[in-house]
Formats: sequence, C-alpha cells, structure tokens
Amino acid sequence: MMRKLLSVLLMLALVIALVPAAFADEALEPITLTVFRGDPGEAPAEDNKIYKLIEEKFGVKFDFEFLVGDLDEKLGLMISGEDYPDLFDGGNSADKIIQAGALINLLDYVNPEDTPRLWAHIEPQKARLIEKDEDGNDVLYIIPNYGLTDGPQIANEVGGPAFFIQKQVLAWAGYPQIHTLDEYFDVIEKFLEANPTNADGQPYTGFAILCEDWRHFCLINPVQHLMGRPNDGEVLIDVSTDDFHTETFIDKPYAKPYYQKLNEEYHKGLISADTFVMSYDQYIADLSNGTVLGMFDQAWDFGNATAALRTAGKDENTYVALGLIYDEDDVEGVLPEGWTIEEHYLNGSLPNVRRGFGISVNCECPERIVAMWEEMLSNEWQLIFNWGIEGEDYYVEDGRLLMTEEQYKQTQDQEWQKHNKARAFFESSPKKQGWILDGEYEGNCWEPGNQPEIVKGLMTEYDQKFLEAYGYSKFADFVNPPIELAPYGEAWQIDYTPVNVDHTEFLQIQDKRLPELIMCDPADFDAKWDAFVEEITPSATAFGDFMQQAVLEEVAKVLG
Amino acid sequence: MKKSPNKLESMGLTVNKRSTLKTLMSQWQLMLMSIPVLLYVLVFNYGPLFGWSYAFYDYNNGLGAKAKHPWIGWESFEFLFGRKGKDFIRSLRNTLGMSVINLVLGTVSAILLAILLNEVRNRKFKRTVQTVTYLPHFLSMVIVVSMAQNIFASDGPINQLLLGLGMAKEPIPFLSDGRYFWGMTGVINVWKEVGWNTIIYISAMTSIDPSLYEAAAIDGAGRFQRILHVTLPGIKSTFVILLIMNIGHLLEAGFEIQYLLGYGVVQDWSETIDVFSFRYAFKNDMYSVATASSMFKSVVGIILLVGANLIAKKLDEDTLL
Repeated sequence: MMRKLLSVLLMLALVIALVPAAFADEALEPITLTVFRGDPGEAPAEDNKIYKLIEEKFGVKFDFEFLVGDLDEKLGLMISGEDYPDLFDGGNSADKIIQAGALINLLDYVNPEDTPRLWAHIEPQKARLIEKDEDGNDVLYIIPNYGLTDGPQIANEVGGPAFFIQKQVLAWAGYPQIHTLDEYFDVIEKFLEANPTNADGQPYTGFAILCEDWRHFCLINPVQHLMGRPNDGEVLIDVSTDDFHTETFIDKPYAKPYYQKLNEEYHKGLISADTFVMSYDQYIADLSNGTVLGMFDQAWDFGNATAALRTAGKDENTYVALGLIYDEDDVEGVLPEGWTIEEHYLNGSLPNVRRGFGISVNCECPERIVAMWEEMLSNEWQLIFNWGIEGEDYYVEDGRLLMTEEQYKQTQDQEWQKHNKARAFFESSPKKQGWILDGEYEGNCWEPGNQPEIVKGLMTEYDQKFLEAYGYSKFADFVNPPIELAPYGEAWQIDYTPVNVDHTEFLQIQDKRLPELIMCDPADFDAKWDAFVEEITPSATAFGDFMQQAVLEEVAKVLG
Repeated sequence: MKKSPNKLESMGLTVNKRSTLKTLMSQWQLMLMSIPVLLYVLVFNYGPLFGWSYAFYDYNNGLGAKAKHPWIGWESFEFLFGRKGKDFIRSLRNTLGMSVINLVLGTVSAILLAILLNEVRNRKFKRTVQTVTYLPHFLSMVIVVSMAQNIFASDGPINQLLLGLGMAKEPIPFLSDGRYFWGMTGVINVWKEVGWNTIIYISAMTSIDPSLYEAAAIDGAGRFQRILHVTLPGIKSTFVILLIMNIGHLLEAGFEIQYLLGYGVVQDWSETIDVFSFRYAFKNDMYSVATASSMFKSVVGIILLVGANLIAKKLDEDTLL
C-alpha cells in the first residue's frame, strides 16, 4: 500500500514538474466530455469510484449516451444534424460516421514521440489499422477497443460465435459429445420433453434466434461455421485457394440444410414464433431468466445474461459453447468442389478494426483526450480499469494478482459494477489485453477472467464437476484450438459502404425470408427456398463480387 | 363562393354584398389575428418544400446542406420505381390498406361509442366512460406497442383466451405473421384513439336541437328510430368534413406502430411509405430516394384530397375547399 502511494506521489510530482507552467491551468480545467456508445447500456452511478479517480487525475467527467433502438438510424440522425459527441463509438456501423467525416484523424496526435505508449500499442498491427484516405494520406480514426493483445493467445473459453447450450441440458443427458446439428437439437428436444418447465414452473424455450437490427447475425451467420470456418461475416472464404475464393453462402445449396433443420424444429415446438420479433433487451431478459436452452450467438453478445445467471447462482443455466459442423449426410453433394469440413470456431486473435471510440470533429480538446488515453495505457491505470483498487477489489501475493472468491463474484454483479467499474468508458477505449509483459506484475493477465489462478481456483463447484465429467481442463476444450488468422483478418471487418445498396438489400431479404422459411409449412419449404434464392441472387452476387475484391485488397495491404 | 347558392339568403336573411377589399378592411382585426397562423403555415408547411430539391441531388449526408452535391435529375425516382419498384408499391399498398382499416374502424367505433354515450342519461357514468376511453390517447405509442407485444404474444392473454375457448388449436403468431399486421394495427389504433375521436361527435350531437327529439318522440319514434332519423343526420356534416380531412391524411397511416413492430419477418406487410422514407434516409443514407418517396406521397395525398372534395361537392355537402 505504502509503495503504491509512493509511486503515485512520485508520478504526480513528475507530471507537475514536466507540465509547463503556461500549460498547467488549461490542463487542469475541469471538462465534461459527451460520450456516445453504439450499444445499449446503463450510465454509471454518481459515486462510481473509478470515474472519481479519473476526475481527480484528469479533470474529466463523462456524460454518457447509450444506443436506444436501431444503430444505423441513430447514427444517420446524428450525422444529419452534425450532432456529434466528443467521444464517438459508432459500434458496428462506425464506417458510416467515418464516411460522413465525423471523426478526426488520430494520427495528427498519435506518434512515437508524443504518445509512445499509444504508438507501441498500435505499432504491431499498423498494417491493418492505418488506412489511406482518398488523397492517399495515412489515417487512423479509431484505436480498436479490443484485440490488440500482448503475449501468447489466451483461449480459456469461446468469446465469439458458437452454438450455445445450457450446461444442465448436457448434464441431464449424461455429458454427451455434441458435434452435429442433429445431436444438438436431439438433446434439447429430449430435455424439453422431460422438463417442459423449470423449477418455478416457467416454460423452457428450446432454441432462440435473435434477429434484431445488426444482431441478426444469430440468424444469418451460422452456415459458415457449420461449414467449418471461423467468422467471416456474410461470406464463405476458401483460404486454401490462391485467390481466397469468396462467396456469399446464404444463397448456396449448402445453406439449405440448416434452415430446413430449423423449420423442422420450429414445427416440433423448439422455436417460438415470437423469437423473430424479440428485442435485444427481451432476449437478454429471457437468457438471464435461465429459460432458454440453446441459441446460436457470440459469447460477448450475452455477457450480461451470463453475469446475471452467475450472480443469481444459477450455474446450471449458464452456457457452454459447442462447435457444431454439418454431418456429411446433411450436405451430401452440395459442397463446393474440394471442400472438406473441419470444425474451426476459434480463430487467431485480431484487432477489432474500426470499433471503439473515435474523437469527433466537434470535440474541442482532442489532444487532451489523446493525452489521457496515453496516460491510461500505463500499467497503473490498466490495472485500475481491469482489476480495480488494490486491497479493495484484489490483492497481491508473491507478485501474483489475485482475488478472493467474494471479490471475483462481485465483479460479475452489474449493480456492483455501476459503482466500482468504469465499463461504459473503458470498454470502448484503447486497452491492453492478454499478458502483462513488463513491470512488477509481469507474467500476470490483464483481465482477471483470464488469470490462471482465477480460472482454476475460482471456478464454481458446478463448473468444475462439469468439466471433470468431460475430462476437460477449460471450456474452450469443447471446440478445436484456434487456427492461424488468415492474412485478410476476418472478413466481417471489411468496409462495405461502397456497395451499400446491394448489401442492404441482401440483408433485408434475409431478415424477411429466413424467418418465413423457418415457420413455413414443411411441404412448401423447397419451393420457398428456391424463391428465396432467386430473390436474393442479384444482390448476393453483387455483394459477393465486391467482397472477393476487398479480401484480395486486404491481403495485399497486410502482406505488403 | 359567389356562385354557390347562398344558404343564408335561401334562409331569408339579407347579406351585405361588398367588394372583397372592403370586407378585408372592415375585418382588419380578424386579419391581424390570422397572421401568426399564416406565418406558421408558411414556415412549417411551405418552407420545407424547398427540401424537395434533395430528390434531384446525390445528397451526401455527411457533407451537410451547404456543400455542393452532384445533380442527378430523376435518378432517385428511377431507382424508386425501377429497382425498388416492388418494395415501394408494397409500402404504398400497406399504407393504403392500413389507412382504410384505420379510417373505417376508427370512424365506426367513434360514432358507435358517441351514440351510446349520448343515450346514457346518468351523467356521472357518462363522464367516467368518456374519461376512461380517451385516456389512452395520452399514452406514448412506445408504451402502447410494448403492451400490445405482451398481449398479442404467443403466450399472451389473447392467445390463452383463444386456446382456452377452443377457438384455436395452437397459438396464433399475431406478431410474427404479416397477415395479422394490418388488423392488429387497426385494433391498437381503435383502443388508443376511440375516446378521443368520440369527443368531436359528442359535441356535434349536443348541438342538435332537442326539439327535434321531442317532435320525433311525439310522432312515435322509438329510441332506435330517433338515433337513426335525428342523431345520425345531425352529425352528417361533421362526419363528411372529418372524412374529407382524413382522406387527405390517408397516406399517413402512421409511423410509430409500423416502425416499432416492423421486424424483418413482417416487413412485407408493415412497411408504410413513412417508414420506407425514414429507413432510406437514416439507415441507408439515401436522402434523395427518401425525399423522392415523400414527394410522391404528398402528390398522391393532394390528389386524394381534391378527389374526395369533388365527390362531396357532388353530394351537395359542406366542403373544405
């Protein structure tokens, strides 16, 4: 504690000494930054201790606005009024605000001399991050919120896409190995038959499909994974070919078995018609309630539900990620030439390009924000954001960062987070991930959830027994280890605004027709599928051709 | 005005025939009072018409209104009626479909409720019913829609009622099957607006001369006959004027319900022109197309209004224009 205090004092002294006197007044002048987050969230409590620290240290307060409703529409409205916050997180549609000229080029402020930490942070992934604008200048609008990791890749659990299933279903079925769609739906079906309701008498839903706004990836993305590829968004890429053969998959014959299966399950009552008109809030509420047995999603998308279930002690209702692939019988005769299916849900880590905070052109003090980020990338601040305050939220033993069971449990509690975590700000800010590579805590993990002692030691009894039953040491063992990242990264990151019209049409047709296909009379399925393919082919072809080109360009850019 | 038969004269009253200018001068106080209204209409109704020019430019949202945008002529209209023709016609169909349902259901329910209330003699009861029925008017549509979402859900009260009564074998997917969308919109609108719409009819009914009822009663007319022969004719002119006004608004089937409940799966039935324009403007960043579709909507609206007015004139009723 004393050492900590001393180092803070020393740091303060240093800062005061370094800051020129003329500058000092301005730097300490308190300001309130307006912040927009492109996803739903909750403002922190007034007495939040981390925000208090930020205010004390940097003189900065935040005024948060979170997304309500449709992201693209909200951004469109903001753009039309040029009504931009200081810190602007455009979520998954940041391309749109970049296109509109809403963000400043961070390279005007970020360079090796003034901001060594930020520069070192982005330097290894420079080729992916720094783009060229129309005039050929280097530009960087957003420092990724995630994915700039240090050290070897950590894969304790699946953080991205997978078919999820409640642990209790597998436990009930005697811990079976589940690898195909048939096995997956079969076990849910049987469980549902034996247990139509939970202990409180609430009915279970077999399989939920979230279709709201951009989160419709739960509806439209699974086919590529069933084909054995990690997440490339809406296209299937054959990385074994020299030209990275890229095609949209939803209009191909190998997409049909999946939706036919869903149609079958719909008529068996596993899928409710209401799932197609469910808002994200409702989805999270249902998941948190523990009544949804399975879904295709990405783990980060329902993190709040997982945390709520943990806080409520409902470990059996939390989910395990399964890497389902097509059975050979499912896709007999419809696979692309030379394609073999091997399960790859986990990919090499990559920066979350163009996602996170940018600084808007309306911001009056960009240099101050950049300076703040620079300071926040120090080990001290990264520890505060990730671990909290030493002694309160974690403790140190022999150079290892540790938490008591109670301390770790409260980090999952959303009510506690409101008072003790700076999530709304930190989640979209540049941050260090992976392993701590220098300083006194070298060899620890930045995120408590990855720290080996915590992963092992603080795992609940239920989870331990669950893994033991399978003979696994971690939840990521349910899927194959990560493969090497393809040179283009992951294709969902590609900016498709040049083919906006086609892409919008492409998505809209899927939004409309896929639920219809799932709900239609099985006898009509074939005819409806053909009509769907015919309807979507023009936009799919246009979008696919563009993506093929874009993937090759990205490869050229990264490989140099 | 001069050519139409002067009702006051036919009723035996004399009317001063003066030049328009003199009439205006003598009523200068009234003219003065109408200036703010005139300004309001100019600023908020005619002013925005300049925005129609967006339809002919490739408007780039990010550059702002002052920047130079390339001229594209009729391209947006070609896009609207060519490539997007099917979608656009569908949203036109939805708009008209839901409008007609709203108009018919809304008017019929309002008149029915007004007549019922008019027949109630207990003032306290009448007042209570009136207040209760018009309160939902003040609720935000967001609240109404989320209530509707619960009520119409697969496991919601309506489905439970239908299942319980044996009127349905399995839950009816009101929310996720497009075919139910128009009807559901109609029901939601009636629930929300019926009390409010009643007010104007009730006030029309109170202005009916009571002696007419007395005379009818003396002639032996029962309650139903009095409603049929006194009340209904008495509110006829109100009904016609409201009808004409509503026809002018026929293409404004609403935005909120359709926007809030218009998930992908029901879009073929839910998307109205307003939602279409909104989506193209703010979601797809195609201001020109959005403006073109709004322009088209206004033009059709004007045609409908003038048409309805003509028909009303033919029927020798009070007209608006």
